[in-house]
Amino acid sequence: MRRILSILALTSLLLGMSTVAWAIPLRYAEDRAPAIVNPLFTTTMSEARLDELVFDGLYTDDMELRSTPALVDTAEVAEDRMSTTLHLKPDVQWHDGEPFTADDVVFTIQAMQNPATASTEAGRVGWIKNAVKVDDHTVHLDFKRPEYAPEDKLHFKILPAHEFDSTTVKRSNAFRNKPVGTGPFQVVSFNDDNSITMQRNPNYFDPVKQDEIVMREVADKNYQAKLIIYQSIEALVRVLPRDLAALQADRKVEMYPYQTNSWWYIGFNNDGARLHDERVREALRDMVDVEALLKPIGTGEVVTGPFVPSSPFYNHDVPEQKVDIDKATSLLTAAGYYYDGRQWTKNGKPLTFRLAAPETLETAQDVVINLQAQFRKQGITVQPEFLGVAEWKQRVWRDHDFDLILSQWSFDRSEDIYEQFHSHGARNFVGYSNRKVDALLDEARNAVDPQKKKEALRQAHTLIAADVPMVFLWTLDSYAAMSVRVKQVVVHPFYFFTWAKDWYVY
Amino acid sequence: MSLRLVAHRLLVFAVTLMGAVGLVLLLLWLAPGDPIDLLPNGEELRPVLTQQWELDRPLPVRFVSYFGRALHGDLGTSLAYRPGTPVADVIAGPAMRSMVWLLTALVLTMVWGTWLAWASAGRPSWHRKLVQVASIAPVFLLAHVSVNGIDVLTLSLVDRGIIPRPGWFPLPSEPGVFRTALAIVLLAVGSGALAEVRAEAENALVKIRGSGYIAAARARGERLWPHVAHNLVGPLTTVASSRAAFFVGGLVILEKVLLLNGIGSILWQAAVMRDYPLALGITVVLASIVCLSRLLGDTVRLAFDPRLRAQVGR
Repeated sequence: MRRILSILALTSLLLGMSTVAWAIPLRYAEDRAPAIVNPLFTTTMSEARLDELVFDGLYTDDMELRSTPALVDTAEVAEDRMSTTLHLKPDVQWHDGEPFTADDVVFTIQAMQNPATASTEAGRVGWIKNAVKVDDHTVHLDFKRPEYAPEDKLHFKILPAHEFDSTTVKRSNAFRNKPVGTGPFQVVSFNDDNSITMQRNPNYFDPVKQDEIVMREVADKNYQAKLIIYQSIEALVRVLPRDLAALQADRKVEMYPYQTNSWWYIGFNNDGARLHDERVREALRDMVDVEALLKPIGTGEVVTGPFVPSSPFYNHDVPEQKVDIDKATSLLTAAGYYYDGRQWTKNGKPLTFRLAAPETLETAQDVVINLQAQFRKQGITVQPEFLGVAEWKQRVWRDHDFDLILSQWSFDRSEDIYEQFHSHGARNFVGYSNRKVDALLDEARNAVDPQKKKEALRQAHTLIAADVPMVFLWTLDSYAAMSVRVKQVVVHPFYFFTWAKDWYVY
Repeated sequence: MSLRLVAHRLLVFAVTLMGAVGLVLLLLWLAPGDPIDLLPNGEELRPVLTQQWELDRPLPVRFVSYFGRALHGDLGTSLAYRPGTPVADVIAGPAMRSMVWLLTALVLTMVWGTWLAWASAGRPSWHRKLVQVASIAPVFLLAHVSVNGIDVLTLSLVDRGIIPRPGWFPLPSEPGVFRTALAIVLLAVGSGALAEVRAEAENALVKIRGSGYIAAARARGERLWPHVAHNLVGPLTTVASSRAAFFVGGLVILEKVLLLNGIGSILWQAAVMRDYPLALGITVVLASIVCLSRLLGDTVRLAFDPRLRAQVGR
């Protein structure tokens, strides 16, 4: 009898713990506080992470990173794959108590598509031709072209129609002061020190364990690691490589590795007079010791093309680039350059390149210095410049005023490299052009069959690597740091807080 | 105060304000990029936002348009730092905080400098040299050395178990008395502020002590400090109002280094993000502080010095 009572008591306690909200706040640091809490105008990752806590999408990721329903209950996709009918979860409430309905879904899509809104997220709904309310909890979407897995594209956050007068949403709308979502946490206050306090949504459709989350702005990255060691915060989204050792050694901190779809590269200005010559680009590539550049800044995997090795689109048959000074020498000589024992020259002018890097790219300075040294050893001068965000956009994106660039690309689940490598791509500022690659990228974008998409992109990987529009470097291992007091942590590699409703501070 | 002096000061105020705003607008315009560049799909949104944010207007038109609105109390709307929020709302709280820190630092400099001068006026003193050396250091250097020195010292004491972890360590992100106090002290000491006040006060004290009216007061058996204090106000007011601009500049640096959420750190962000209305709004506030401090300095000097009143009255 006593044993049965003990088991019953323990079971009750465990059940109670699973529903009790934990009153110790979970504080995390961001380099910069979100400028605006409105998913229509998200521009930074700190805003995207906060949106993950406050808002929901129609679908979200499960822990295998497959799409799983969030605000959707069930869905049917038409046989021709040109439309879908979404049945929404009933009894979902907004943070202000209003019911979530099909009107909100239709409103959100129309607001995002409205040119007058100037939404930064407009591209996420460009593939939707039409959104129609069937009834309060049913929405019908028509697509512009066949979609194999529309649920993968329905992760954008839904906004409350009742908070806005029309689908022309302005940044100045009062919503920015009191954002309303359906998410597991609701914004309670914007504080004087730029921190944002969020509390558990008591009406959320799933249990939420943590009572309070606080976003803290800590602009100095040097301080962020100190703050978690000395328990001023409980979570650090991304640990700088130089702080890894100190945090790994600290018993009060647990490290969570995660892989992102991002890779570093040294881009060439393919339209530039000297780098238009493929022999020069190949020679520069053959001089770069990628492993030696990677070692001082962290751990990761060398990449040979525009995907990360864990991606289904990565072509593992493309060999890793190795240093080959003899080959580089032959190539430069064939391109008309002369080596005088110290420096490569042509027509009496030394071979010199300007290398631009974004000043916001962590550890870029270390890479640039080492790269400069590697090239100097081979008789090539590199003049580095570190550019702010606005200057980067002006000089690199618009004016193409550079010879080399050191940067990284990050991709979401779609890993769509069209904009970077298609000759009409809006972000193809290295000026790469290959008609075969264009055709493959067009095929991949329009493919309904995932196998055909995979084949097309793997082929594109091979061709791009052979053309050497850039030197592909690596994908870095990323680590989040959490206080050991935070339990049940699973980190989303892109949005971080996707499964935060299960976390709690003990 | 004569109307002519007031009018002169107001004219200087207006010219200074227009000059400061014009210079900041020009610098931001010359700097590469604009706030649309910060948006991930900026190039697609450029046609709409260029028009909405009036970025297509020529610079002189933007300058005149800005002043026209500012005169009606409209400092515009933030474009990038807090999109859609009126500039006045963004800077109101931080401006008040910065003003408090600034005034506190100014008072501290005056009191501390005067006390040091009183202790050493006319006599050899070790702290004269110490203050001169410490005060030479630029504010950013003092901040960096202080913060890292405090961190290292406290860390070693905590690690050895000599002290428990103090609540303010390592200068955490939430607002705190310790960080604020440190900023005020560094502002008071740095960039020559304390040394200048001490030197000016010492010179004035030496003159005052050797003056005839002090000798007469001493002969009459009166207390000397009211006479000394009264005659010290003029020189101290002069140095205080001349230091206002330096204090404002120092505060911008300290707020960045010490992670204080004042108007200076927002100015930094606004410039980086090319948030023109916000940067201009802050410029208006800071330029007004400098000009008003000069006006206040003139008023105080006139109130305390009848000779100046007589001169101005002519």
